[in-house]
Formats: sequence, C-alpha cells, structure tokens
Amino acid sequence: MDLQDLVIPEGVIAHLKVTSKKQALQELAAKAAQVTELDERKIFETLLERERLGSTGVGQGIAIPHGKLASLDKLHGLFARLDHPIDFDSVDEKPVDLIFLLLAPESAGADHLKALARISRLLRNQKMVEKLRATENNEALYALLTEPSASATSVA
Amino acid sequence: MLEAQTVAIFIVAGLVCAAILSSLLSFRIGSPLLLVFLVVGLAAGEDGFGLVVFNDAGTAYLIGSIALSVILFDSGYATRFRSYRAAGVPAVVLATAGVLLTAGLTGTAAKFLFNVGWLEGMLLGTILASTDAAAVFFLLRVGGVTIRERIRSLLEIESGTNDPMAIFLTLTLVELIAAGAGIETLSAGLLGRFAWAMLGGALIGAAGGWLILVAVNRIQFDKPLYPLIVLSLAVTVFAMASIVEASGFLATYIAGLIAGNMRMRYSQALEDFQSGVTWFCQIAMFLTLGLLATPSEFPAVFAGALAIAAFLIFFARPLAVWICLSLFRFSPADMTFVSWVGLRGAVSILLGIIPLVGGIGDGQSYFNIAFIVVLLSLAIQGWSIGPVARWLGLLVPPIKGPVDRIQLELPTASRHELVTYKIAPDSPVALGARMPRWARPSLVIRDGASMSARRAGRLKEGDSIYIFVTPRQVQLLDKLFARPVPEDEFTSTFFGDFILKPDARMGDVAPLYDFSVSEEEAELSAEEFLLRRLPQPLDMGDRTTIGTVDLIVRALNEEGTRVLEVGISVQPMRPSLETMPLPLPASVRKVLLKAIGSMRSGMREE
Repeated sequence: MDLQDLVIPEGVIAHLKVTSKKQALQELAAKAAQVTELDERKIFETLLERERLGSTGVGQGIAIPHGKLASLDKLHGLFARLDHPIDFDSVDEKPVDLIFLLLAPESAGADHLKALARISRLLRNQKMVEKLRATENNEALYALLTEPSASATSVA
Repeated sequence: MLEAQTVAIFIVAGLVCAAILSSLLSFRIGSPLLLVFLVVGLAAGEDGFGLVVFNDAGTAYLIGSIALSVILFDSGYATRFRSYRAAGVPAVVLATAGVLLTAGLTGTAAKFLFNVGWLEGMLLGTILASTDAAAVFFLLRVGGVTIRERIRSLLEIESGTNDPMAIFLTLTLVELIAAGAGIETLSAGLLGRFAWAMLGGALIGAAGGWLILVAVNRIQFDKPLYPLIVLSLAVTVFAMASIVEASGFLATYIAGLIAGNMRMRYSQALEDFQSGVTWFCQIAMFLTLGLLATPSEFPAVFAGALAIAAFLIFFARPLAVWICLSLFRFSPADMTFVSWVGLRGAVSILLGIIPLVGGIGDGQSYFNIAFIVVLLSLAIQGWSIGPVARWLGLLVPPIKGPVDRIQLELPTASRHELVTYKIAPDSPVALGARMPRWARPSLVIRDGASMSARRAGRLKEGDSIYIFVTPRQVQLLDKLFARPVPEDEFTSTFFGDFILKPDARMGDVAPLYDFSVSEEEAELSAEEFLLRRLPQPLDMGDRTTIGTVDLIVRALNEEGTRVLEVGISVQPMRPSLETMPLPLPASVRKVLLKAIGSMRSGMREE
C-alpha cells in the first residue's frame, strides 16, 4: 500500500490556519470535497460521526480522522500541517498540529484497514514526524509522504 | 587446625563474592543469574578448580531446605492478594493437577527411556515436575520487561505453590522404593497423608503468618530485631509443620503470603532485609548444589537427560498446561507462554538429593539427571523468556516514563508516607497541568532554596517537592510528575492504532472497520462487548479479535471490572513462524520456512 495511491499533490496543505477541531474538520472536508467531487457537508458529517465514537487524535500531536462514504470511487487521503496546534480531545491531551484524513468507499474492505495501518505506523515514526513538522511547502511535504523509503517499512 | 578453618572461611566467602560479582556479567549478557551461580559452584567443585571437595548430600539437603523455606516465604511475601484475584484458581490447578500430569507424563517417558520400574520412573517425573519459584520470579522481573499481569500472576503463584506438591510426591516415592514396595502399595492411606500435608501446612502457615503480624505490630523490640524475628519465625513455621508431617514448604509460603499482604510496621526495612536474605539463600543453595555435583559423571547419563529435558520442555509441560488452562479462558498465546516458562530450578536439584539421602541404590543418577535437565531448562527457556514474550505479544509497553521519586517511610505506623519528586521536563505538571488539592506539596526546593508551596506558586521543571500522601496516591502522582512515554510501533501494536469511547455502539463501529456483528451485539457498547468476550478481572491489554481487527482494553478501573478506554488495532501483529525467535541465521530460517510452506501446500492439495 503506497501513499502515492492515496494522496494527490493537491491533497497536501502545508499551512492550514484553523483555531478549533471543528474548523479543522470543516476545512479538510471542504478540501476533500474538491478532490473527490462529493458533498462537503456529507464528508464533514461522516468525520464528525467517527469523532463521536472517540477522538482520532492518537497522541503526540497527530490526528487521523477517517470515515466511509458510499458514493466514493476509491480511497482518498489528505494531509495538513497546522500553523497553530489545536485542541483535538486527543488521548494524551496534547494539541494537534499534523492531520492525516482518510476517506474510504463503503466497499473498500481490507484496503481501507491496510491504509489506516500504514498511515498509523508512518505517523508513529518519530523521525518522519520531525521531518514533516520541519517542512514548510506543499511539494516537499508531498515528496516526503510518498518517498519510497517511507513505504519500505510497510507491512503486508 | 585453626589455619584450615580460616582457609575454609576464605574460600566460602570468596565464592559468595564471586557469585555476586558474576551477577554484573549476567546482566550484561542477559543470562539467567541462577545459571551463573550454579556454574560458579561447578567451577569451584571437584571437577573444576577443586577448591572445595563437597560430597555430603545430607548437609547439602539441609542447607537447601532452609534456603528454600526462606525463598518460598519471600515469594509468598511478594505475592499480592490482587494476583490471586487475577489468576489464583488456574494457578492452583496448574500447581496440583498440572504437577501430577507433568510428573506422570515425564515419569512414563523415563520408565521406558531408562528401562526402570514404574516407581523409579515416576520418581524422576516428580523430581522434575515443579517449576522453580526463584527462577520464575527473577526472570519475570528483571530486564525492565513487564509481562501482562494475569500471566505474571499465574506463573508466580504456580511456581510458589507447586513445590509442596512435588516435594510430597518425591518423599513418598523415595520411601516406597527404599522399603522395596511396588506401585500397588499406593493406597488410600496415601490420600489421607496428602490431605493432611496440604491442609495442615496451610493451617500452620496461616497461624504462623498471624504470629508474625503480632510480633511486628504489637511487641516492642529494638528496631533492628524486627526483620530477624520475621525471618526466624518463618523458618520455625517451616520446621514445625515438617515435624508434624505437614508440608513445611506450603506453611512457610502461606505465612509469607499473609504477612506480606497485611499492614506491618517498618515494612520498608523488612522488605530490604528480606530481599537481601533471599538473595543470599539463592546464592547459598545454588552454590551448594553446584559444589555437590560431579560433572565428570554427567556424560554417562547425558543423552538420556537430554531426551527427558526435550520431552519435558516440548511435550509434557505444554500438554499439562493446555489441559489445565483449557478449563479457563486463556488465549493460545497465553498458554504457549505459560508452557515455555516451565523453568526448572534449584527445587528439582534439591529433590534430586532425596534419593541419595533416602538410600536408594542408584541415587546418584537421579541427582545427575535432574542437574542436567535444570541446566538445560535454565539455559534454553531462561534465556529466551524475553524474546518469546515479545513474539507472543505479552509484553506490556511502559505506560509512563521514568519518574524521579524517593519514598520515605515514617517511623510510626501511620498511613501516610513522605514522598519526594523531582519535576521532570515535559511532565504534565511542568507543562502546566493542575495539581489536585490533596497533592499540595509541603515543601518545594527550587535552585537550592526551600520554600512553602504557597510561596513557590506554580511548579517548574527541576523543582523538588516533598509531599505527604498515602501509598495508593503515589501512582496518581507518578502520572503527574513522570515524563511521558513516546508512542512507538510497540505501543501501537499493544494498545491499538485508534481509540474508541467505552460507550461507542458496536453497530456504529462495525461497518467502519469491516467486521460484522449480530443484531444483538450491534446494540452493545464497546465496553459491554469486551466484558462479554473477555475473562474478568480484566487486564490492561486484553484483546479480542473480530473480523480482521482487534479490540483492546486500553485503560481500566482499579478493580478490573470497567473498561475506560478501548483501543482498536487495524492490522494486528500475530505471532507467526516468520517472526519466531529462533537462534538461526536468516538463510537457514528461509530454507526452513520454504520447506514448511511447501509441506503445507502439499497437504492442502491432497
């Protein structure tokens, strides 16, 4: 599972300016709507539903909001680097400044879980996270996320 | 004459020093320390450097018995009632039925392997049947690894309580063989004796435990005498029970269990003294047993001992464990680990002396075989506990980082103690977390100056604080003052990638993570679902597989009855042949896996 198949260059935001979790999800839903040509509201609500089951803030300043949409054609990922960390109700209560959003079609099955595992492991890699925090433009971030060495540690 | 005595003192004290110094080496190379002590004993003995020629089995048995009674007292002392709540019943089943099964299976193998009678075979079986408390305790606690609580409790209780059973069986069999009796003399009278040994041992132990409490809490001695009175009462209890033919080892274990779980004065001093004495007893016992052995006789029985060890490690113990534990809810990974931690130790060698002392014709071979099996077990199983636990996913990642804490006990029997913390950088307090009201420090030391908490105001990194709390509160304080642990791959495999609230509806969770639940299950909360699937009390990291994901107990209440946080692992790691910790070079492993793979596909085609 390569991140290249999930994220397109337009899906990377190096400077997202938001002040709250809700606003961050809204902005990301808007961006996702552009990429997927689906209804922004519907995406936002899907993400909120998942947050109601428990925050996707996994700790160490990272959040991985995700959800399933019936009308989606394939897996879509977005990555955002926040200018100012925001409160995300994370497990460790630390403010979040890196967000990876994953949307999956209803029938994605194993691919969806593989992609989630892949993203979760990538963002638990301290070195990777440091690099992502230090990178300030879209192209460089995209290159970093999709570089082969990042995929080399992939399982399965 | 006098000179010879001083030389003897020099040699014995020197050996103890050598054993202690070798512990440094042992920590570095990760070998089981007890194995090192045995080897020091062997090296000093007649076939080694010949410093000591020691062939007195009776004295060795005496030293071993006293040492073992102290060690068992200490393992009872260190076992919390909480562990019994977590795994008491399965552990006791393992310690009784499990010992019988292991002894029976190993005994049968020994009968045919060595071509001896049933009684002689069974004698070897019972000698090898019990796991060693000292070895298990030690290996489960060193090296900074934490094994999941339920499994650790199970193994610790089992190893502490199965010795009395094995000792009783061995003594009985030696008596029968020495009297020239056959297996048909095993009669109902034996059952009565067994019942008395266990019941009497437990009763005398309980009374002894109570006596220790009274001695420490009610009577005024000079302070340094308290640890001594506890220790001497423990050995007295052992002897008293043995005199009336009850199990002395069970008695001293029970006495320790009771004393260790009750509030006692000077508990810190008692603990320190006790762990020192227990170390000394282990060293003394292993050195003595090492000295007693005559390695030049080993080759004669080596092949047989190797076969018995392999049978015991790979067949008898696993089978006994699977039979006993299948009555309870344990996962295959749990049972595999418990099978692997069937460490044999000093107890088996000590039991190997009994045939010598009991005057059985071929006593020496029992001892030699037991010795070799223990060496093999300590080397093979002892060395690999860590990797095997990791492979099976039974290691608990640290939930909090290192914390700089000193606990000072107050001289009277007060409930509070004085604790001092140094505030770690990045700890919640240094980052501005609020302190609960009960945790107001009495004194703050900042930049070498002491001040009241009010004057200090907000606590800063590097401050030292002094605070009076009850021991229960210390854990909560640790969370405030400890450095956070960075989440890594290990933590996420254990606790899951994502978090669910305990009240998340399973019907809402299932479609998101591609598993299906029944209509009835869909209405359950994640907490209810876990409680239904998992044995209670719950343990941190308990997990259940559904579809291709694992739901995990991430946080729970003190009693283990409620789930506070549910983890979900979207691509759980399973123990597999590929990841198995085998000491094989990668190329050999590849060939092996390929062979197994083609065998499997070949079977599928048929």
